[in-house]
Amino acid sequence: MAQPRSGQSAWLLWIQRYQSLVGLVLLLGVAYWQQPLFFAPGNLANVLNQLAIPGTLALGMTFVILTGGIDLSVGSLFALLNCVTASWCASGTPLWMTVAYVVFLGTAIGALTGGIVSWSGLQPFVVTLGAMVSLRGVAFVYSNRTFIYIREPEHKKLLEPLQGDVAGLPVSAIVLLLCTGLAWVVLARTRFGRQVYAVGGNALASRLSGVPVNQTRIGAYAINGMCVALSAVLFSSKIQMGQFSAGIGYELDAIAGAVVGGCSLIGGYGSVLGTFGGALFIVSVGVLMTLMSIDKLVGDGFKGIIILIAVYMQNLGRRKSDAV
Amino acid sequence: MRFSKSMGLVACLAGMLIAGCSGGGSTDEGTAAKGGAAAGGAKPLVVFAQANSQDPWRQVFDANIKAEADKHASEFSYEQQDAQDDPNKQIDEIETFLVKNPKVLLVSAADTSVTQVCEKAFDKGISVIVLDRDIESEKFTCYVGGDNTEIGRQVGEYMGKTMGGKGTILMVQGKAGAKPTEHRRDGFLEVMKAKFPGINIIVGDNADYQRQKARAYMETFLQSGKTFDAVYAHNDEMAIGAYLALEAKGIKGKMIVGVDGCQAEVLDYIREGKMAATFKYPTPGEKGIEIAAEILKGNAPKDKKIILPTTLVTKETADKYLADNPNLFRVEAK
Repeated sequence: MAQPRSGQSAWLLWIQRYQSLVGLVLLLGVAYWQQPLFFAPGNLANVLNQLAIPGTLALGMTFVILTGGIDLSVGSLFALLNCVTASWCASGTPLWMTVAYVVFLGTAIGALTGGIVSWSGLQPFVVTLGAMVSLRGVAFVYSNRTFIYIREPEHKKLLEPLQGDVAGLPVSAIVLLLCTGLAWVVLARTRFGRQVYAVGGNALASRLSGVPVNQTRIGAYAINGMCVALSAVLFSSKIQMGQFSAGIGYELDAIAGAVVGGCSLIGGYGSVLGTFGGALFIVSVGVLMTLMSIDKLVGDGFKGIIILIAVYMQNLGRRKSDAV
Repeated sequence: MRFSKSMGLVACLAGMLIAGCSGGGSTDEGTAAKGGAAAGGAKPLVVFAQANSQDPWRQVFDANIKAEADKHASEFSYEQQDAQDDPNKQIDEIETFLVKNPKVLLVSAADTSVTQVCEKAFDKGISVIVLDRDIESEKFTCYVGGDNTEIGRQVGEYMGKTMGGKGTILMVQGKAGAKPTEHRRDGFLEVMKAKFPGINIIVGDNADYQRQKARAYMETFLQSGKTFDAVYAHNDEMAIGAYLALEAKGIKGKMIVGVDGCQAEVLDYIREGKMAATFKYPTPGEKGIEIAAEILKGNAPKDKKIILPTTLVTKETADKYLADNPNLFRVEAK
């Protein structure tokens, strides 16, 4: 169905694949003419630092969306893991132990969500909507209705390494770049990666041809949970506390990053590098708007239009038979 | 054919987007590249990172600070961003502000999390004026805000005296974990314990400073059959919510006290006797801008901490209060 039918369609496919790149080039053009401060030294580090959290979330979301799923529970899981990180740090646990535990927890909860999606046969939207509500409740109870502050100076130092930079590049950005590289290898170079695309492209055909559909879905949600854990750790080090109310709406930012980056919500189309570009584009739009003195709330209106354009572009020429 | 039409639509939207974006800044690349204010040439830049712009108190805050900034429009350019109460977003916004090299940074912190970035700005030689919410550092130029603990104490004094030291007060609380909630509660409980031991306090649930949640809480509470004589809500919105629940049940004569005094609607409630009183929680925006203007003239503020006083508003003082505070928040009735 995605086969190019004519010259024009081949052109469309190219844009669909590289649309975040096209967007970035346009954005840099606007920045060049309107606000050269965007190219000021230090702004690159600023943009990358801001990208780390939504970028890592969008990476994880890419796996889920590629299988044809969606995960609305990301923001709530993020809040829970933020609270766990903060409380472990507040009790003086070494950083590596906290990170290991939080990543384990995130992966396990992600796998559980994926398992429920697979075995219940319910729509991922509904299952993860349930998870979104429950996990926020768990975060609320876990943190005992209050924000978890890291008060002792020596405990505050625990999370500090993640706030530094190496050769001018923020550590958070390095984490993101490493994750992006790893995710690219997994999706493009492993059998699991091919299975993720296959399940999203056509679950029934995949099952018939021997692809373990359920395990692949669980794997995708687990990877998503792992990414949520990593970004929650970065978030915790940035705000130095745990908030049960953290991450509200972050799942939508993650979905937006993936979609603008060329992932199709019907599954099977998209790539890690596209998502990276998409998230980078959205963050850059935000930064540019602040630099250009455009009110954030007005800016969100523009962002909405951009996302609509992106989704529209992704659906052009795909699954026409389903739509008609 | 269908495809080319859709491409046209996309191109149109993209065009609108770019045209829309270009409304903001001037194309004076010379000054912009030097890192000064983008619009308006060499004027110094004053930026304000607002925690959120949603609740009525913050809207009055915004209206007041913008009005004051307009008065100084010839001296400096002013920009503001709203972090929707997300400290992560606020840190990002301040970082982006720093790229523009402002002279003064006003911050109403979404949480103490923004401490580090404020310190960074301060170390760069930017004057940091903290509004309403504290940061955990001494690296700021000036703090302007109200005193919630003191307001809590005054509420306690007022209610204790009016009730004659007897009865039961139901306290409806604001957002869990938020500093104003804790301070408005603790100041109140402190006075109650010390001066009015005869008054029984029911420490109620958190209704997040929202009218609907307070109303729902009150409805549920009434089901429990417990009795009370007065309600202390941590803000006016929740006081109104509690009143509406009581009114719907036909319960009259409860003394209801709120905090904030920023809504014209609350003044109506007080004048009609539906609420007993409110305590003004002053917005620090005007004072903050005045200090910023003085700093730009070379006059550093004398005091590092400026505490704005509260005002008790009752039926008797409501009209005077309304005249003294022209920017009160009013929902357009239409």
